[in-house]
Amino acid sequence: MSAFTNPATAGITVFLAALLAITPVVFAILQRMGRLTPTLRKELYARYFSWLVIVPLMVVPVLLGRFWTIAAFGLLSLFAYREFARVTGFFRNRLLSATVVLGILCMFAAIADHWYGFFAALPSLFISLLVITAVMQDQPKGYLQRVALAIFGFALFGICLGHMAYFANDANGRPILLLILLCVELNDVLAFCCGKFFGRRKLAPATSPGKTWGGALGALVLTTTIFAFIGQFVFAGTLLAAPIHLLTMGALLSFTGQLGDLVISSVKRDLGIKDMGTTIPGHGGILDRFDSLLFVGPALFHYIGYFVGIGLDQPVRLFF
Amino acid sequence: MKDWEYKPAGDAGLRPADQWRSLQREAGLPSAVAHGAWCALTAGYLRAFHRFCVEGREYLPANPPFVVVANHSSHLDAIALAVGLPPRLRDRAFPIAAGDTFFETKATAAFAAIFLNALPMWRKKCGSHAMETLRERLIEGNAIYLLFPEGTRSRDGSMADFRAGIGMLVAGTNVPVVPAYLDGCFAAMPPKARLPKPSPITLKFGAPKAFPDVTNDRAGWRELAEILQKDVHALGSSA
Repeated sequence: MSAFTNPATAGITVFLAALLAITPVVFAILQRMGRLTPTLRKELYARYFSWLVIVPLMVVPVLLGRFWTIAAFGLLSLFAYREFARVTGFFRNRLLSATVVLGILCMFAAIADHWYGFFAALPSLFISLLVITAVMQDQPKGYLQRVALAIFGFALFGICLGHMAYFANDANGRPILLLILLCVELNDVLAFCCGKFFGRRKLAPATSPGKTWGGALGALVLTTTIFAFIGQFVFAGTLLAAPIHLLTMGALLSFTGQLGDLVISSVKRDLGIKDMGTTIPGHGGILDRFDSLLFVGPALFHYIGYFVGIGLDQPVRLFF
Repeated sequence: MKDWEYKPAGDAGLRPADQWRSLQREAGLPSAVAHGAWCALTAGYLRAFHRFCVEGREYLPANPPFVVVANHSSHLDAIALAVGLPPRLRDRAFPIAAGDTFFETKATAAFAAIFLNALPMWRKKCGSHAMETLRERLIEGNAIYLLFPEGTRSRDGSMADFRAGIGMLVAGTNVPVVPAYLDGCFAAMPPKARLPKPSPITLKFGAPKAFPDVTNDRAGWRELAEILQKDVHALGSSA
């Protein structure tokens, strides 16, 4: 099946390419208007160059097909967990950390196999395994902290990001994933821009001082609109093409996207750090860039799954 | 086992190339797996190619922190010393390697950090701050340092005087220092050789010593280095 069977796939890909091509022109115009200080210019270009790498890394695996998509999300999960484990110090507990990694690998093996039963069983199995493994260490002091961190890591980076990868098993997986990735990233940008224009009341000043109600609501309205507009092509011919569903999904995406951002901000404030890592110049760590994806996956997966199903017409149990 | 600590990795916030060169580097799972695989591979190689044998393992402390000091005449030394430790301790062992040899380029730094688990010692620009960092890490942490106090490989196989740097790490502390003598590494692969020869290598550990009463100053460091040099030399004489 061609990568561009659904015209929405081609449309989103071209739109992203155009966005990347236009951005330096916008920077040049702002520069001419004297709106960019040297520091801001340097920061914007650092971010832009990072986007030049990030966007192909996100889009190309999706276009290449289900295997590459699942592999890319698997790597993203492992790198995100690594960042989390290193900033919390949890990586020092080798046994529990290895168990979390095993859990993430099993999640992605289940996804690659298109075995939903195993995928659905793994959260309860691995949470139990983590709780039991921690007991085996015979170290009651700090037991709850260790288990909580292990389950937190597995839930966010194994289960939640796993739901994103599972979309690859659907015949319509490419455009759905591209739509989600595009809207999640736009949601971040729109929240920032709306916050600059309309932001007065702080949303969660102790957690993320830069976020405002104006930014959050502006992003909610605009992202929902964009999602609904592009979504009508992505979900054409299905029950989800109805405006009520498109608007609900768009709102869910924007809401859960912003919550993901706040959750990682909360982790950073608790640890007293600014960034989760240094992997992406201008952005920080992998989690600083992809935090908004965390809860979007499960929310949209179960919404779409409830109304039209995911991958129902595709072969299952491919390997095991 | 220590209680779990809510504390970021010592090298958190650094770029990968800086992490590899950091004295605060802490190995994660991928590095631990790579280092374990490297140790298994080199242990097999040393046994098969050099009939490697270890004597005096009973002298090694059961748990870190401790320091192993040995004579140095070959690139095989650090490998043999790391493999000579019991497998459960290898993960905590950091060979202190010459920064200008092993950490100069990104590729060699990555290899030295990920596979050898080495920490850099910059011979020409090693300040007291670096020694202080190593000392703190040793006292606070779970580290085992594998050290060659001669500072460089012997060009003729004979042992040179120990430098006082070892004293800066352990003087005035209860950290045990284990003397070790590597016999056969020079014959197997002297500094000018490109490839090793299949000659036997023996590693001999001696009784550990701690130096809580040695003053942490220039005189104390010198005194401590001389004591350890004699211990290593004695092991070599009895080999």
